[in-house]
Amino acid sequence: MAASEEHSNSPSDRPILASGVWKVFGKRVADAMAMARDKVDQSEILARSGCVVAVQDATFEVNGGEIFVVMGLSGSGKSTLIRCLSRLVDATAGRIVINGHDLGDMPELELRELRRHTISMVFQNYGLFPHRRVIDNVAFGLEVRGAAREDRYRKAEEMIELVGLDGWASNYPEQLSGGMKQRVGLARALAVDPEILLFDEPFSALDPLIRRDMQDELLGLQERLRCTMVFITHDFSEALKLGDRIAIMRSGAIVQVGTPEEIVAHPADHYVRDFTVDVPRHKVLSAGTVMAPFSPDMVLEGEPVAVSARLEAILPRLLTEGRPVPVVDERGRRCGVLEPAVVSRYLWRQ
Amino acid sequence: MTSLTVRSAGRRRPIAYLGGAVLLLAGLIMFLPEGIGAFPPEWDVGFGPAVNEVQQWWISNRRDLGVYLYFFDPLSDSIDWLLRAFENLLIAIPWYVHVAGVGVVFGRWLGIAGGLAAGAGMLYFVALGLWEQSVQTFSLMTVAVALAVAIGVPVGVLAARSDRVYRVLRPVLDSMQTLPAFVYLIPVLLFFGVARVPSLIATVIYALPPVIRLTNLGIRQVPTESLEAGLMFGSTSGQLLRKVQVPQAVPSILAGVNQTIMMALSIVVIAAMIGAGGLGQEVLLALRHQEVGRAVEAGMAIVLMAVMLDRFSHSLVSQGRMGGAHHTEGLSYRYWWIAGGVLAALAIAGWTIGWTDYPTALQFSYAAPIDGAVDWARDNLYQLGNLPVGTGPFSDFLTTYGTRPMRLYLSEEAWPVVVLFFGFIAWWASGKKLVLGAVVGTIVIGLLGMWTLTMDTLSQTVVAVLMAIVIGLPLGVAASRRDWLERGMRPVLDTLQTIPSFCFLVPVVILFNVGRIPGIIASVLYAIPPVIRLTNLGIRSVDSEIVEASESFGVTRRQKLWKLQLPLAMPTVLAGINQTVMLVLAMVVIAGLVGGAGLGLEAVKGLARSDTGLGFEAGASIVILAMILDRITQGWAARFQPPSSDGG
Repeated sequence: MAASEEHSNSPSDRPILASGVWKVFGKRVADAMAMARDKVDQSEILARSGCVVAVQDATFEVNGGEIFVVMGLSGSGKSTLIRCLSRLVDATAGRIVINGHDLGDMPELELRELRRHTISMVFQNYGLFPHRRVIDNVAFGLEVRGAAREDRYRKAEEMIELVGLDGWASNYPEQLSGGMKQRVGLARALAVDPEILLFDEPFSALDPLIRRDMQDELLGLQERLRCTMVFITHDFSEALKLGDRIAIMRSGAIVQVGTPEEIVAHPADHYVRDFTVDVPRHKVLSAGTVMAPFSPDMVLEGEPVAVSARLEAILPRLLTEGRPVPVVDERGRRCGVLEPAVVSRYLWRQ
Repeated sequence: MTSLTVRSAGRRRPIAYLGGAVLLLAGLIMFLPEGIGAFPPEWDVGFGPAVNEVQQWWISNRRDLGVYLYFFDPLSDSIDWLLRAFENLLIAIPWYVHVAGVGVVFGRWLGIAGGLAAGAGMLYFVALGLWEQSVQTFSLMTVAVALAVAIGVPVGVLAARSDRVYRVLRPVLDSMQTLPAFVYLIPVLLFFGVARVPSLIATVIYALPPVIRLTNLGIRQVPTESLEAGLMFGSTSGQLLRKVQVPQAVPSILAGVNQTIMMALSIVVIAAMIGAGGLGQEVLLALRHQEVGRAVEAGMAIVLMAVMLDRFSHSLVSQGRMGGAHHTEGLSYRYWWIAGGVLAALAIAGWTIGWTDYPTALQFSYAAPIDGAVDWARDNLYQLGNLPVGTGPFSDFLTTYGTRPMRLYLSEEAWPVVVLFFGFIAWWASGKKLVLGAVVGTIVIGLLGMWTLTMDTLSQTVVAVLMAIVIGLPLGVAASRRDWLERGMRPVLDTLQTIPSFCFLVPVVILFNVGRIPGIIASVLYAIPPVIRLTNLGIRSVDSEIVEASESFGVTRRQKLWKLQLPLAMPTVLAGINQTVMLVLAMVVIAGLVGGAGLGLEAVKGLARSDTGLGFEAGASIVILAMILDRITQGWAARFQPPSSDGG
């Protein structure tokens, strides 16, 4: 409760902290966890203990106001993980702290208040209520927390307009297209003014073009709202586009957490590298990541580039001039140099 | 589920085994010493008389029993009061208001033609002087359905929310749905005697399963994400139920109500045997006195009521599915207000001038021409000249080559061989798990003293089922190949499935007189829709890619049918046969009323002479027979189910 009052003006620095989170489905939980610690294969654990280790030992934190993307293939446990963050699924072990409150031992009533005011969720297949009109879907969160009819309709209208569905308020979900349905899902989640938004693969059921629109719109909304978002996806390019930071999951474990650039430039293992193969690296990597150290004896000509500049912008020059290009930091000091040979190693596999 | 080893150990047994077994068992009879015939009557454990004693004690002591004084009697009184109040209300309203009111409701939902037809239907009840009986049947049924819904929806919700409740409930509901309506009357009779309230209680019990089932199903089918969304906004469990689960389950619940209404109506008619009165009573009396015309009039009234209620509750379902709010609401309300106002004005006008009853001068009856037609049919259709054509020779043929030899074989030859044969069929059709049940069940029937009667009923059932399959399967195949045939048959099958079983007896008696054969014909008519429907469905739902693949190999139509479509459709076809078997049994039992003999007749006798013990013995045998037949056919169908990858 206390958390919701300090809303918006001072979002907590670390709204979500997760440490050593496990989720094991099945009965012989302890056996399964022990086997997972010994690096036993998932299918073997299933055969021997009848348990599925959906999330193993996940530790991460989400900063206030960032989009934290959890990316993994189907069955990697990402949907279970996001459900642990709101206790739709009870974690088997570990600690999850939301705005300073431990989720694990939170009483039912407090959990309900948390969900009513602080956390919201958008679902893969929209999770809309087919028997309610768009406006009643959007107003649902306000309705269950007891808002008066006019208040919740006013707010819902506002949200419907925000996601660009003006005029559709009295329609039923079945009358809308997939993209519109997900807009309703988004409006419904935003209507309660949440601090934390959870997205469970919200765009994966949409056509590619509509998906791109929705991604852009989400980024636009985030510019204005500055919520803390946890976004699940199986699409690496979506992760790169949306994520301030990305966590990559495999067989229930988080294998790497980092900014898009860190992950593309320094994938932790083969699994992560496989995702990065098709990435247009020049759009992700910046000068600071691929530069070689600067030594004073170097003689460099030409206009320097900033550390934060994307390779995309520098490449034409590098290719036409064929000479090393100096890099300067925020204060204009030379801090490195772009060597065509080094840059090409980054661009076409290392 | 079944493990891989069971599957690989020969799931289906060759049909040749069956023929071999028949020969072997027939041979076995030769070697058995003389004198082992039907199940020895002296082994009858005397269950019936014991039940009668219990009942006697019960009747003489019921005044002093707390459960009666403080529970059953008040319950029964309040139900009776409710029933009478409802009846009186309906009777008090002038007849033309009913006609117009029903027309208005149907007109709104089904268009002007629907409204006119429904109004005409209502007029039928009044004009034939069946108004009072119709009101009785209708109120009994309405109150029963209301009670069934009032009990069934909460129970269904409970079952949906607790897996434990569901696990306990499911086998109970399963067996409730396999039992013929008839047997529900017997235990109720023991506790409540003959009257309207007991028949209402039997109706509620009989009609309960679909509401419970479909409420449970509807709530369980609410998508997980919908539930999670509800939870994520912090709904309490009450809010979740009211705002998320129940509203989404409404279409399913209404479908359950539709089924419940139809079931209630079908048993309300049968319940005339224990004092439900109404239209059922009318048919029953007419059949007893062989007044076919009168039976047709009342029977038609029942069919009309069934069709109207079915249409009514179907449109209820579709209204529910659309969320009810897709209409222009303002207009809709105005329609009802105006219609209600006009009807109320009409009613008041009727009361003030004292014109509430249908004028007797305008009453009509077509019983006499029907009776004439029956006489004509008897004289002319029974046999055409000296030719072996007509219903008489047909009956004789069926009797000589079908029912009689089978009955005699089953009931008079060595009973241990028959028991063995049962065990074998159970094994052949569905595996060793069922053998013990089948053998013990058959022996228990013998111990109840119902051996001969059961074998009589069984032989009729087998003949009727075979006929239904021989006629229904080709029809289903034909319908699967021709869309126009499927479309043409659909309303016929719909109607056959809407008519309460009881009403099938009336026309067959016209054509076939009384005896076992009319019962069999009625059973075939009553039970044939599932075979046709599910054969058609099974073949049509064979993957079109598979069919195309076979066509690319150049199969003929016949090869396609035998090698591909039928084998793949088999699980569905067998599910249809299972339903058909159960329907046939239910009908054969009721056909006891028109001389079908067997267990049905015995149970009727028990009801009629208030020899509850006899009724119990016959009823228990029906239950055992139904269970065995159901498990065997279901097990058989399960064998044809392709092995599922998720089992294990």
